Amino acid sequence: MSARDAILSRLGGTAVQGAIDAEAAALLIAPERPRVDPDRLEETFLAMLTLPSIAATVDRIDTLDALPQAVAAYLATQGLPPVLCTPPDPRVTSNDWVGLTLHEQVAPDENAVLAFARCGVAETGSLVFETSPTAPMLPNFLALHHIVVVTRIVAQLEDAALLGTQPRAHYWVTGVSGTTDIEGTYVRGAHGPRFLHVILAP
Amino acid sequence: MIPARSGTQPRVALFVTCLVDLIRPQIGFAAIRALEAAGCEVIVPDAQTCCGQPALNSGDRDTAADLARRAIAMLEPYDHVVIPSGSCAATMRVHYPEILEHDPEWGPRAVALAARTYEILAYLDEVRGWKPDGVALDATGTYHDSCSGLRELGIKRQPRRLLAAIDGLSLKPLAGAETCCGFGGTFCVKYPAISNAIVAEKATAIDASGADLLLAGDLGCLMNMAGKLNREGSKVRAFHTIELLAGMGDGPAIGEEA
Amino acid sequence: MSSFTDRADIALADRNLKIAVERTAGTAEAKRTIAIDAFPDFEQARDRAAAIKDHVIANLGLYLERFEANAIAAGAKVHWARTADEACEIVVGICKAAGARSVARSKSMLGEEIGLPHALEQAGITRIETDLAEHIIQLADERPSHIIWPAMHKTREQVSVLFKAKHRDPHQEETIAAMAESARRHLREGMLAADVGISGANFLVADSGAVCTVTNEGNAEISLVPPRVHIVTAGIEKIVPSMGHAVHMLRMLSRSATGAALSQYTTFYTGPRRPGDRDGPEEMYIVLVDNGRTTMRETGLAEMLRCIRCGACMNHCVVFRQIGGHAYGSTYPGPMGAVLTPAFDGLAKNRDLPNACTLNGKCQEVCPVRIPLPTLLRGWREKSWREGLEPTSLRTGLGAWAWVARRPALYRAATASALKAMRLMGRGGWLRKLPLAGAWTEHRDMPKPAAQSFMAQYKKGRRS
Repeated sequence: MSARDAILSRLGGTAVQGAIDAEAAALLIAPERPRVDPDRLEETFLAMLTLPSIAATVDRIDTLDALPQAVAAYLATQGLPPVLCTPPDPRVTSNDWVGLTLHEQVAPDENAVLAFARCGVAETGSLVFETSPTAPMLPNFLALHHIVVVTRIVAQLEDAALLGTQPRAHYWVTGVSGTTDIEGTYVRGAHGPRFLHVILAP
Repeated sequence: MIPARSGTQPRVALFVTCLVDLIRPQIGFAAIRALEAAGCEVIVPDAQTCCGQPALNSGDRDTAADLARRAIAMLEPYDHVVIPSGSCAATMRVHYPEILEHDPEWGPRAVALAARTYEILAYLDEVRGWKPDGVALDATGTYHDSCSGLRELGIKRQPRRLLAAIDGLSLKPLAGAETCCGFGGTFCVKYPAISNAIVAEKATAIDASGADLLLAGDLGCLMNMAGKLNREGSKVRAFHTIELLAGMGDGPAIGEEA
Repeated sequence: MSSFTDRADIALADRNLKIAVERTAGTAEAKRTIAIDAFPDFEQARDRAAAIKDHVIANLGLYLERFEANAIAAGAKVHWARTADEACEIVVGICKAAGARSVARSKSMLGEEIGLPHALEQAGITRIETDLAEHIIQLADERPSHIIWPAMHKTREQVSVLFKAKHRDPHQEETIAAMAESARRHLREGMLAADVGISGANFLVADSGAVCTVTNEGNAEISLVPPRVHIVTAGIEKIVPSMGHAVHMLRMLSRSATGAALSQYTTFYTGPRRPGDRDGPEEMYIVLVDNGRTTMRETGLAEMLRCIRCGACMNHCVVFRQIGGHAYGSTYPGPMGAVLTPAFDGLAKNRDLPNACTLNGKCQEVCPVRIPLPTLLRGWREKSWREGLEPTSLRTGLGAWAWVARRPALYRAATASALKAMRLMGRGGWLRKLPLAGAWTEHRDMPKPAAQSFMAQYKKGRRS
């Protein structure tokens, strides 16, 4: 008997599938969670982002044309060279990145990476990402500075879920890489980014 | 002391617990005083010995069940059963029904008795609606919430409400009041080094509270904490809460001669 | 072979350990309280979390089949392992087939449980631990001492010494930040060059076949994206029905573990990379591990399978706070470890664990999924008693007590003599040394009992 058969035979499982699904669905009715005012999504999102636990810096642009300028300004204030790792996204290629050197291949000691979040979540200040041909994953975890463009904010974590066919990875970034592994003392930039910069765009 | 609400005078069986019986009988007498002041007719069933908690916690379910049946038979003739210990009260109220769950005769009897079994401070406060009257004690106390009483029976506010009615007594908060003192019944003699480490921290917190008196509702916990306090040379004196409520707070504390 | 008591004694004498435990578990306790107070209807949320897990456990076979089907549909391969050895064999087999020389691991208690680090070593595969705490204990050649902070037993000074000895380019400043930086530098290259990435799973999502990992460092992602192969080892109880259920459990997990609303990185992996993806593994394997879980389900321990590995129980346990994690001598310490270890490793060897507990119930109070830990621990004590594993002295002592307690007249007589004897042993109100209760009087005094028991006095007519 295979391990699979051995394990499953001990687990039984004769319940009716439809009944199970109904029971599971019932368990999700009106879940307990922090309340988010649907009329104040952006306010709430920004308040979460700027909490000490996340400590993101925030900027705002009125059109995506202004993105290169906003990024350049951030790099300058951080004292970083005008070099950026970018995703192969049309919102990058369609822009004029005067003064900045872009590359797609992320270096192990990359300074800054640009990314486009699928949305922000007001409940937690999380940024939601998914892998796709225009969105690699690794750069978001290697670079020291994580610069994220957010064009949409949803209220709760449930609203961030993607329905239908799943991408390889769907992930929520809530702040920067950190650890309390040594004496419970919090340090930022464990393996991943140490700084998070959010640019709100329409 | 004010008499209790007018109406029926319940016949209350007092189960003193083995520790009270052997180590500090005045807790039993304080219990009688307070219960009578609260309008109860107090009976002390003669055949009482041990509720079976040591057997229960050591895994000897059969012995625990046997002692449970005896206790139930002895106590069920009365209106209420009152116990000056959170852990023993929890044993009867919560665990007797559990151990006798599959016993068709004794299971229901255990459940029936459990519904009429109370820890004494909860009983006086919530069932009798009583408060000590004319009891004065000029002292500061700090309160330790014994774990069984707290978590199995919800005993938290009742002792504090009762003590608030004593003139001159004020309570200072105990840091980590809800943290276990390390007694744990047989635990303290099976794992003495760990128990000691736990009670040492508790003693430090008690001293740091700045109170004159340590108060709690379980003699086992009190013996453990008072024993450590005394070994460490602390001046804090320990009483069972019921002793103060019965006006016996001016007597010898735990470990003091009369 | 050291005993639990020996290990506990060593731990109790270790002042550095006490400092380390207070800094991590003590801080976690404080942070959790703040997070819970801010969370609406937390008690109902606990009920829901427990109900979700109970629902899954009751229908575990069907959910595992559903998970498997969806994971396969997404391109992953699913293996099943009855035992720890089987699981390790499968993992090593996949690594060998992939020609792996090195693997990057993110923290997985299940991996520890099945002995994966040892199996990889035996197979001659280099193991790169990417979680900072796991990296520290790998350098120190030790086992984890806590399920959330595996290296909590180490002070910064001890870590500093370790890094200076083993890192290529160690820290200059004696700060924790500098040490973390050193680890970041040291691990980077290896992490990115590993052939295989191995992770655990915080949750397995049945309706999508997704594997969810939760980290603070982002080390899981860095370990699992570059390699060609991603292997997941997960206990079969990690299933949740859907993403919505995972969200609820995630809300409970971080708050209970560290007091955070959410961990920094929460990732759902569904199969290997898709055509067109810019990165990601080409192959994904999921190893579903039983290792005693089906047995637990059948032997009164089903509620223990609700555990989401948050660590709250041990953070709040008075025993754990004094002895730390290593004293438990197993993968899982604290209250949850005291329940699990006899299940995974046998009761006879581990009977101290359910016994070294005051049954105070704080663990149950803080458990986000309401596991009745004291009840389960008492269950192990009952089994131990039935199997005659308790020491003879205890059985005899309790037997004698019970025999006397059943006979009130005899009880009165016996206790009267005992009282008389005890009163002779001390001057004043305290007994400093008690022959049969040395364990008590070694560390504290015993109040001298009254001359006459309550029952004796009552019988003589005293009433107040």
